Amino acid sequence: MDEPTAPFEFLGLTFDWGTILSTLLAMAIVVIVSVVLTRNLKLKPGKRQNMIEYLLDFTNGVVNGQLPKKQARQFGLYAFTLFFFIVVSNEIGLLLQLQGGNGVTYIKSPTATPIVPMTLAIMSLVVAHGMGVQKLGLKGYLNNMLLTPYTWMLPLNIIEQLANFLTLSLRLFSNIFAGEMVLTLVAKSLAWPGHFNGFWSVLALPIEMVWQGFSLFIGGIQAYVFVILTGVFIAQLSGEE
Amino acid sequence: MFGLTTLAANKIPLGNMLFIIISFLVLMVILKRVAYEPVTKVLDERADKISADIDDAEAARQEAEKLALQRQSELTVTRQQATKVVADAKASAQKQSDSLIATASDRATLINQQAQTDAQKLKEDAIFNAKNDVAALSVAIASKLMQKELSLNDQQALIDAYISDLETK
Repeated sequence: MDEPTAPFEFLGLTFDWGTILSTLLAMAIVVIVSVVLTRNLKLKPGKRQNMIEYLLDFTNGVVNGQLPKKQARQFGLYAFTLFFFIVVSNEIGLLLQLQGGNGVTYIKSPTATPIVPMTLAIMSLVVAHGMGVQKLGLKGYLNNMLLTPYTWMLPLNIIEQLANFLTLSLRLFSNIFAGEMVLTLVAKSLAWPGHFNGFWSVLALPIEMVWQGFSLFIGGIQAYVFVILTGVFIAQLSGEE
Repeated sequence: MFGLTTLAANKIPLGNMLFIIISFLVLMVILKRVAYEPVTKVLDERADKISADIDDAEAARQEAEKLALQRQSELTVTRQQATKVVADAKASAQKQSDSLIATASDRATLINQQAQTDAQKLKEDAIFNAKNDVAALSVAIASKLMQKELSLNDQQALIDAYISDLETK
């Protein structure tokens, strides 16, 4: 499990090339796709415009289903960016995994590294808590978060907030990580160059294809779940359920 | 596995987290400029246009209904007017023809009467002239034939008797 990494120090902070490159690649793809899809917008949409409109409609639908109009409008851009980025991140690793000569995987799904989902979860929770404070005021927000429905539930509520962070980040991470792990395992154990195994090596192709399709599906679902849960947290912390 | 091992080794990869957060924020700004705002604008515009179109269509439909109703009523009025005009024309024609016939008939009667009166008068004149002529002629003939002087009065009575004898024949 312990794969080599390529960390480096900069201004006293620890960075890691694999995470940075993968994240940058995912973001570049997001930007390029959205630039291509939004060229020449018209009132009567073409094929490309329909795709981006469908995507925006989809995240807006998720958001509008959970939040009142004012908050939905605030949260719309964040949800759109989050969903777009997570989907692309989840699917990158299925198409492309680049390993350097030193065994470091430079390009894979960024979301298959725990630090990326964790950071995204922290951001989502900051957004949720911030919108809660904005809606209810600091006192109302604390009261709603910690002392509802009963005062004696304070410890449970604190644990719940911590659990929110872990469930949000680890669900995404483990799904994508496990998906890529199985892909790698199938490839390594059944069809690794030099270990040609006759029937089993040929069998690897359909298994990989099926699993890739499944992972594609899982990647979409997990991005959707991440956005939905962020919306749920916002609704919870704003006192609406 | 990078994340968990470094976490376990108390080396939180703050740099990675900062990098991810900052780049995510940048991504959000870019997407806002490139996709979110323009597409939202187009979607809103389209929604506005559709609702405006629906309103316009409703107004146009009502206008058309109103026009159809108006046309219907106008058609009815026009039809009534046409009927009335035809009836009037017929009545007036009838009246004119009646008066013409009446005038013609009056005129014919008048002409007829005139003709009868004229004829009567002519006849009477003729008879009167004939009476005088015959009287004078008879006197002349008698005086010549008889070579005898006769009193005109005796002769007149004789001639009257003679003429009334002629008329009865």
